[in-house]
Amino acid sequence: MLSAFLSAFRTPDLRKKLLFTVAIIAVYRLGATLPSPGVSFSNVQKCIDIMESGATSGVFSLLNLFSGGALLSLSVFALGIMPYITASIILQLLTVVIPRLEQLRKEGQSGQAKITQYTRYLTLGLAVLQSSAFVALARSGQLFSNQCDQFPIVPENTGLPMWITLVALVITMTAGTGVVMWLGELITDRGVGNGMSVLIFTSIAARLPSEGWAIKESRGWAWFIAVLALVLLVITLVVFIEQAQRRIPVQYAKRMIGRKMYGGTSTYIPLKVNQAGVIPVIFASSLLYLPQLILQFFDQNDPGPVQSWVQNNIVDPASWIHIVIYFLLIIFFTYFYVSITFNPTEVAENMKKYGGFVPGIRPGKPTADYLDFILSRITLPGSLYLGVISILPNFFFIWLDNNQFQNFPFGGTAVLIMVGVGLETVKQIESQLMQRNYEGFLR
Amino acid sequence: MHIGFAYTLIVLLIITSAILTMLILLHRGKGGGMSSMFGGGVTSSLAGSSVAEKNLDRYTVLVGIVWFACIVGLGFWLKLAVDGGS
Repeated sequence: MLSAFLSAFRTPDLRKKLLFTVAIIAVYRLGATLPSPGVSFSNVQKCIDIMESGATSGVFSLLNLFSGGALLSLSVFALGIMPYITASIILQLLTVVIPRLEQLRKEGQSGQAKITQYTRYLTLGLAVLQSSAFVALARSGQLFSNQCDQFPIVPENTGLPMWITLVALVITMTAGTGVVMWLGELITDRGVGNGMSVLIFTSIAARLPSEGWAIKESRGWAWFIAVLALVLLVITLVVFIEQAQRRIPVQYAKRMIGRKMYGGTSTYIPLKVNQAGVIPVIFASSLLYLPQLILQFFDQNDPGPVQSWVQNNIVDPASWIHIVIYFLLIIFFTYFYVSITFNPTEVAENMKKYGGFVPGIRPGKPTADYLDFILSRITLPGSLYLGVISILPNFFFIWLDNNQFQNFPFGGTAVLIMVGVGLETVKQIESQLMQRNYEGFLR
Repeated sequence: MHIGFAYTLIVLLIITSAILTMLILLHRGKGGGMSSMFGGGVTSSLAGSSVAEKNLDRYTVLVGIVWFACIVGLGFWLKLAVDGGS
């Protein structure tokens, strides 16, 4: 393990990529702690302290987790990658509905680039919306559930007209979202791993130490160690299932091209149990967060019947309806993404083209049907596993009945994202390493 | 501190924000987002970055640094303006 790490650093181009990624992450974290212009850093810190000592956690706990604590402190990168994720979800769902997008997706590289470009425009549009919403919330004090009215987050006695400060805030946060998007793309392009997921990973990892310490402070060492053990157990389970795959044997026929012999090999198609990765979890949680966001636009002090129903049943993570909806959403998105990423007809078609076949099954449509059957059967445990791991922290609320666990970072969603992204990145480093020598991290 | 200082910084900040956003949108979206998270994976590595892209990178970084400096400057100004008895 250590020697593999050393050799990763000894390889010049890989070392360059690793250092580049680390540098970008450093810039990202710096921006995530830098307060936006017009926001009083000391007042925000006081407010966060009040929130953390108070019983009621903010509504934005999950979002705050995704942005690594940047959101509540209204930093430059407060919105983080959330708008980009939302924009991607919207465009991916729209490809099913709008024929033009569907056509673009099938076009391959150039069409895909165009969709990415649309996603980027949409991201900035969403960023303007969300940043103005958050600025408005911060102004009215609702960002901290009205508990922090004595310390204005955006102080008024600066001598500048208020509207100029607010406009500057919105514009800065929008530009910040653009920068985050660009940083992510730079990591994908020149660093290791997928930029967006690496940035989510850093945000979550950045909050781990403080959250862990909070548990130790409030419950003592025994709880701390118990939680750590539990987390290790969950991580082991997650790694185990992430690595699990079914190998479908494929036999290639021998072919003579000119004087050379091709094919005649037998390989396999690896079908992972969790083919969809962590995307379903990210998507389901960001979708489930939408009602929370909408609720924020209504009057908090005088909730109507619909509003309080939504608050008590959908937003509250300890309610059964919330858990069931989350679970079902994850299962839906798992199937949805597996169907997008893996096209059995295409795979069967390609295999036929190169003279490959699955032993015992005719090439062409029967192979496609077979692959489809296997895939949908293997995705079932995969989706159930994703769902169960993600709703684990919700059971914590019910058993422990404690708001402290509201944004429990060791819970399912965070652990899944961290382990998933970590594995993916390590695998990518390893495949780069394989070009030079054969010793890798994972055996 | 002088109020003109803050106005200059804010105007500069708004201008650089606009330019920065434009420059970022000019970049070719290199996968980056969900599309490659879906397992496309290898698609982006085929095309190396062109000269135009490299220049764009340089300008973006330059504007980004000015943008960053503006934010930091405004932050200090705010601290002085609020704590210094306004």
